[in-house]
Amino acid sequence: MNPLAPYEPSARDPFDLRKCGHLLRRAGFGASLPERQRLVREGLAAALQHVAPPLAEVPAADALLNEAIAFGSIERVRAFRVWLALQNTHPLRERLSYFWHGHFATSNSKVQDPRAMALMMATFDRLGTGRFDELLTAMLRDPALLRWLDNDVNTSKQPNENLAREVFELFALGRGNYSERDIKEAARALTGWHVRDGQFFRAGYLHDDGDKEVLGVRGKLDGDDVAAIAAARPESARFLAERWLRFFVHPQPERDEIDALAGAYEQHGRDVGATLRVLLGSRLFFSARAYRSKIKSPADFVIGSVRLIGGRAQPTALVAAMATLGETWLEPPSVEGWHGELAWLSPAAWLLRSNFVADLLAGRRGKLAPRAAELLRGYTRPDHLARAASLFCCDGDLSADASERLLEVARAAQGDRAATVLHAATCLPEYQLL
Amino acid sequence: MNVDRRTFLRGAACAPLALSLGRGGAWLPGGDERCLLVLELVGGNDGLNTVIPVDDADYARLRPKLGAVRRGARALGDGTSLHPSLARLHGHIAAGRGAVVHGVGYAPPDRSHFRSRDIWHVGDPAHQQVGATTTGWLGRAAEQLVAAAGGAGNGLPAAAIGGLEVPLLLHSRRVPVPSLVRVEDFQWLSPGARGPIAADAPSRHVVGAGGAGELLAAVRAAQTAGVELADGLTAALQRYTPKADYPDDDLGRHLQLIARLLVAGVGTRLLHTSFGGFDTHARQLPTHAGLLRQLDAGLGALLDDLAGHGCLDRVGVLVHSEFGRRAAENASQGSDHGAAGPVFVFGGGVQGGTFGQKPDLSRLVDGDVPPTCDFRRVYAELLGRLGVPVEPVLGEGFEPIGLW
Repeated sequence: MNPLAPYEPSARDPFDLRKCGHLLRRAGFGASLPERQRLVREGLAAALQHVAPPLAEVPAADALLNEAIAFGSIERVRAFRVWLALQNTHPLRERLSYFWHGHFATSNSKVQDPRAMALMMATFDRLGTGRFDELLTAMLRDPALLRWLDNDVNTSKQPNENLAREVFELFALGRGNYSERDIKEAARALTGWHVRDGQFFRAGYLHDDGDKEVLGVRGKLDGDDVAAIAAARPESARFLAERWLRFFVHPQPERDEIDALAGAYEQHGRDVGATLRVLLGSRLFFSARAYRSKIKSPADFVIGSVRLIGGRAQPTALVAAMATLGETWLEPPSVEGWHGELAWLSPAAWLLRSNFVADLLAGRRGKLAPRAAELLRGYTRPDHLARAASLFCCDGDLSADASERLLEVARAAQGDRAATVLHAATCLPEYQLL
Repeated sequence: MNVDRRTFLRGAACAPLALSLGRGGAWLPGGDERCLLVLELVGGNDGLNTVIPVDDADYARLRPKLGAVRRGARALGDGTSLHPSLARLHGHIAAGRGAVVHGVGYAPPDRSHFRSRDIWHVGDPAHQQVGATTTGWLGRAAEQLVAAAGGAGNGLPAAAIGGLEVPLLLHSRRVPVPSLVRVEDFQWLSPGARGPIAADAPSRHVVGAGGAGELLAAVRAAQTAGVELADGLTAALQRYTPKADYPDDDLGRHLQLIARLLVAGVGTRLLHTSFGGFDTHARQLPTHAGLLRQLDAGLGALLDDLAGHGCLDRVGVLVHSEFGRRAAENASQGSDHGAAGPVFVFGGGVQGGTFGQKPDLSRLVDGDVPPTCDFRRVYAELLGRLGVPVEPVLGEGFEPIGLW
């Protein structure tokens, strides 16, 4: 059976709070309980429309982008990105820009240009839901990426292979789908693709305009050609399909799932947004195999907790919290991005996550407004408190053991019982899963 | 199933099996046990500009610009010299507390950072796909230590320092390995009253809770170990006062945290930290000199601190990188991914000086210094020093070098 067959809610398999929470976490950065309850009432189609509205309907944040750039600090750009994710006006776009940032993992530690980093992220916002070949073409002309991978010193006399290698290995094809010779030839094609005054600059006098052969295509190839050739390979469809499945669905996709998604990608004219809409509406996406199969990243945990619990969190404070948990946007550890999954959750990292929520609930460190206890105001009986915390934090879906222990916490809690119970719910293993 | 290790479940380190943490502060007193720190230079350190073959006639020819580091380099006595930034470490080598092993690597070399790091971390060049059950060589060593201790008692046999990710080399299927950044972070905080969650607080009920399934079990193990860590570590670390000045940078802070763990004797015997930025494809000279200066200051302070506390004798430090760099400099005043490189081993009792064949630049293989010493021989040497049996960790046939 086609794993991408559409999920059709039924009385036996309804679109409920569990499925709605799953969709909003995976295709966005989560949502408050009232918002999730509203979308459950409105149904699957409305929820899918909510996570991926037509781009034209989403107000642009250009003014804030320009302000962040004008400020000239990378911290300000990071805060802007966290603010966008907190707003989540176009959940899937925000999510995809996060995906592409990990995919074209570029670090300001080397680029040293907050403006270029901000514009790179804006390119993901603009093109990330469109066609991959257009995105790849734009990325091979992206000033931040060109600097990050040393292409600003790649010249016809002195070729530098760094960008060419990563285009094939990490961006478009994956290991085993190209040769060392392809890398050498692509590096030649990319000679002279430089940066001048913060803009892409095609330095003709440094470009090798001889014949090259990249992945079987011959000609006087340049950087645009490398992008087009790589993006057009059938291997690229499978490579991207696997990446998307890992990011949106399950960390260990099966071959038939990869084949199906690669097929959908081809069918939909290699349009990323259209492909992902198919994926997000599929039985596979809503399957038990996908639900809670991933570990929340620090961004998922921090931004998701704030969207869940509320409070007026300063984006800069959230940037700092994410950094403590091991994820600093615009500064991935290497060109391979973040490792993700259980690598996020060492014992120490778990402790720091728990402490973040404790601070959030208590309004501590002067960074977060205490509002959390209000969420459970009106619930006084321990079983009601425990049930409400389970709905808030864990889709109301907990094992008997976890429910029982949460109830024990609610029974024994003193003082700010709501905060204690909510904190305990976020300490449950279920809450660490995406 | 095609498994790409980049995003794969890396959580073997937190796997649920045999989570044998002692209850209520059952930390081994430590004190006389031997420990190992692996300090990894990430990005591919330029070995030929770190341990410089100054006497090799081909060096100047291959490195007309990068060869400038010869000026001010300090001789090691075998025709090689240490980069001018490494004054303090040179002192430790000269004083018989440090060794250089030339030409360490594996054949054939892999020039991908990720693949080559995986090879060093797993300890097997033939290992192909890193998956959820892949273990690292130090993670396997931790299993041996726990097994030797009767499978119980030791709260924290191994730790990753400086990042929140547990690197592959510390992945184990049986021993949970935490990562630590700052000591102060490791109280389990309450959302109500200030300060840590008390031993009898209601929130303690959720420790170890949760549903069935491998992933939840792994998370539960991380949680249980995290709370254990918080409860035990703070007290143990009170026992340390520094005996050296550490530089005020990340590496310095991480190395000082390592010193605190080692001096406190919390039973943590296997440690890893990494120091990145060595991928010097362009304009290498100032970058590389700065990195080595940081290394010299941080590691120099650690060695002095440990010596000041009288515990350098039980600590070994391995400094390595995933590969060296090509013998010939590139046209961007940098160097590209190469093959073998030198490693450093520091510690009390080590035979000082240089070991192995120094690089011969007239005999390059594919533009590289070929490996003359398999990296697992160095590992075997260190495991032997720790008293860990080599074969279960690395397999057979890796003769020690004789550093001790």
